[in-house]
Amino acid sequence: MWLALRRLRWARRVAASPLQACWREPLPGRRCDWRALSFLVCDAEMSSLDPRQGELLSLGWVTVAEGAVQLGTARHQLIASEHGVGQSATIHQIHDRELAAASPPAAAMAALLQAAAGKVLVLHHAPLDLAYLNRLSRQLYGASLLLPVVDTLALERAQRERRGSPLTPGALTLQACRAHYGLPDHGAHNALQDALATAELLLAQIARRSAGGRFTLGDLR
Amino acid sequence: MNRRPEDQPDALRPLVDLAPVADFLRRTLPFQDLPAAELEQVLAALRISYHVHGSTLLADAPEQGLRILRSGAVDLRDRDNTLLDRLGEGESFHLGGLNAGGDEVRAIVIEDALLYLLPDAAYQRLRQRNRPFDRYFSSQRSRRLRRAARYQPAPNTLLQDLRGCMSTDLLTVTPGDSLQTVARAMTARRVSSALVLEGDRLQGIVTDRDLRTRCVAEALPVSTSIAAVMTPAPETIDADSTLFDATLQMTRRGYHHLPVTEDGRLTGMITSSDLILARQDDPVYLVQHISRQDGAEGIRDLLAGLPQLVLQWHQAGMRAQQVGRILTAITDAVTVRLIQLAEAELGPAPAAWCWTAFGSQGRAEQLLGADQDNGMILADDARPEHAPWFAALAHKVCDGLDLCGYPYCQGEVMATTDSWRQPLAQWRETVRRWTDTPTPAAVMRVSIFFDLRAVYGDAGLCAALQDEMLHRASRNSIFLAALAANALDRRPPLGIFRRFVIERDGEHRDAADLKKRGVMPLTDIVRLHALAHCVTAVNTEERLQTLASERHLTIGDSRNLADALHCIQQQRLQQQCQQVLRGAEPDNFLNPRGLPTMAREQLRDAFTIIDQAQAALRLTYRAGLD
Repeated sequence: MWLALRRLRWARRVAASPLQACWREPLPGRRCDWRALSFLVCDAEMSSLDPRQGELLSLGWVTVAEGAVQLGTARHQLIASEHGVGQSATIHQIHDRELAAASPPAAAMAALLQAAAGKVLVLHHAPLDLAYLNRLSRQLYGASLLLPVVDTLALERAQRERRGSPLTPGALTLQACRAHYGLPDHGAHNALQDALATAELLLAQIARRSAGGRFTLGDLR
Repeated sequence: MNRRPEDQPDALRPLVDLAPVADFLRRTLPFQDLPAAELEQVLAALRISYHVHGSTLLADAPEQGLRILRSGAVDLRDRDNTLLDRLGEGESFHLGGLNAGGDEVRAIVIEDALLYLLPDAAYQRLRQRNRPFDRYFSSQRSRRLRRAARYQPAPNTLLQDLRGCMSTDLLTVTPGDSLQTVARAMTARRVSSALVLEGDRLQGIVTDRDLRTRCVAEALPVSTSIAAVMTPAPETIDADSTLFDATLQMTRRGYHHLPVTEDGRLTGMITSSDLILARQDDPVYLVQHISRQDGAEGIRDLLAGLPQLVLQWHQAGMRAQQVGRILTAITDAVTVRLIQLAEAELGPAPAAWCWTAFGSQGRAEQLLGADQDNGMILADDARPEHAPWFAALAHKVCDGLDLCGYPYCQGEVMATTDSWRQPLAQWRETVRRWTDTPTPAAVMRVSIFFDLRAVYGDAGLCAALQDEMLHRASRNSIFLAALAANALDRRPPLGIFRRFVIERDGEHRDAADLKKRGVMPLTDIVRLHALAHCVTAVNTEERLQTLASERHLTIGDSRNLADALHCIQQQRLQQQCQQVLRGAEPDNFLNPRGLPTMAREQLRDAFTIIDQAQAALRLTYRAGLD
């Protein structure tokens, strides 16, 4: 409900943009079983942990539909940098040279929005990635994304807090969460591989909580 | 800027973008041999799902296709809940294919599993386009079926039909022929029966016994027509019946002869001696015959046909581990018979004792060409003056074994060696010495000692010794570390698949010794785990099962090691059978160049598993030592 109202408020400003096209698809219902929903599991790599200083370097995403990761929907988008990669190149293994072949931020964002239409956006540690995505969206279209979001990290934290298990530092990293569900090391570290790793984590989280029964979007938040 | 199409930002480049998934598939049969273009299509079609422990996948689920285990473990069970197979990481199954025979096979998740599904349309398309891929799955299915057969009684020659052993060269006479004519014809043809035919129709049967009881005993004139003494309208049996049916029919009715018909037409005759002959390739029959021989020479002659028998078993689809068990049972029978013969000569034993098998005989994993590894445990009340009796017996038995084709052990692990023929108390002392001060040479020499099994005599002595040995070994980390060093000494010949590792003995320059570089390191690893956890089983497969059920090894590791052993043993058996066919001496050397790709891949997988198990062993038992 909230999202729908907020979208209305910004509707005029985003007219004729990829964001408007994305909003045209109906919002997923909160009481819908998860197998009937589509999720776009996404990960972003950026040049700094501070959204005011850094910029997006790449985006990766993959769709979860009918209860399974649809591997053919995976996409990896390198984003053309305005300032060069700097320090984080060593972390993300992206070099200026590769980025020369990357798309401009507007094209990458348009592709993401096209994939996300009618879906639930899934991120591991959503606030950081969303800050970057929303900032770019405001620059390009004058409004935030206003997409329904599930955060696998928040989900895991809530679950552990409910159970009263103490959280050690690092217990909620993507790798640690996966290990908790017996998922194999995914090792690599680029946006698409992390998105894929997050998608598998989402499946595991849902499978453990639903025990094969009904599980809705409302249960995921 | 010039952009190649694959650099288009909005296209998926599966091999690059999905590199980790592609790498996983490339380590998985049969995807590793797929051309890049086809692998790309597989990647783009895959669906990933997660299944918690206890969930079940059915053949009539809406999503069908090939399921590949990325992680976790799955049991395949049929309608009767019989376990057909247990699958781990990298293995795949297709419920539709498994259910082609209507067996209601289902998959039960036993460890939380991440599954890759290649949807049926894409899977079938790939099978049509790619021959090796298709062949892998058709052979995989028969492998599954054979595995399923593991849980059923061994195939039996009694289930063959009659055509293979009936005689077709029949003596036929007419009802008007005289007794004497028929008796002369039977004598000339050296047969014990004649069939009485009128035209095409079987009228009766006459046998040696009939001539004795109905003619001679009754003093009938030799000119009497045969129709008067024959058994009219004899029972017949159809050629499609099994040897078992024929045996049953004969024993029930007390017959020794049965005419065989096909579509009502007489085509042959089967006799009780045909039935006995037909069972010659039955190992039970061989074991019985061994136990009736009066000397080593007789046993040697019986065993002369053993390689041919192994060849027949192999061709009949018997697996290497079954062959191993049967060959071991035969060795046991030979040993027991030789001991009985020696005892008959030397008189009864002056004290309780036990003949013990070590190494592959102990583990029941012998193939052709095994040498002897044995010893004797004497009861502690054996006195010094009894020693000559035991020594004499040891020499007779070991010499006999050598004569029968089990060569003397080069490492002198034989009952004829004084240190391998001692009272229990001294054995205990020996075990204490070995475990307390393990020198590398000693450890290498004695490691097969820990695979021991009583073959003859007082099994309690053997059990007591094993108890002592497990007790001492499991608590002694220095000894376990020494055993680990030994187990790590022989590396699997992984390099052979790139450049050839050469066995230095000259004769087999391009070959790998499957026994020394495959079976031995693997059994070393499993033995070490078994000793460390006080597992009493000595058969490698049984050790692995116990280790997994007691949770000292994961199901996956245990399964992988068992599969690796089966694969290498199967390859050894295959190789030995080919050598028998060529008329060569069976050995253990394999040149992987001569292997089909699939067998080479499987062998490499097996060696890789050993390599990884060795790495794990190093971490567990030699942390900080190397």
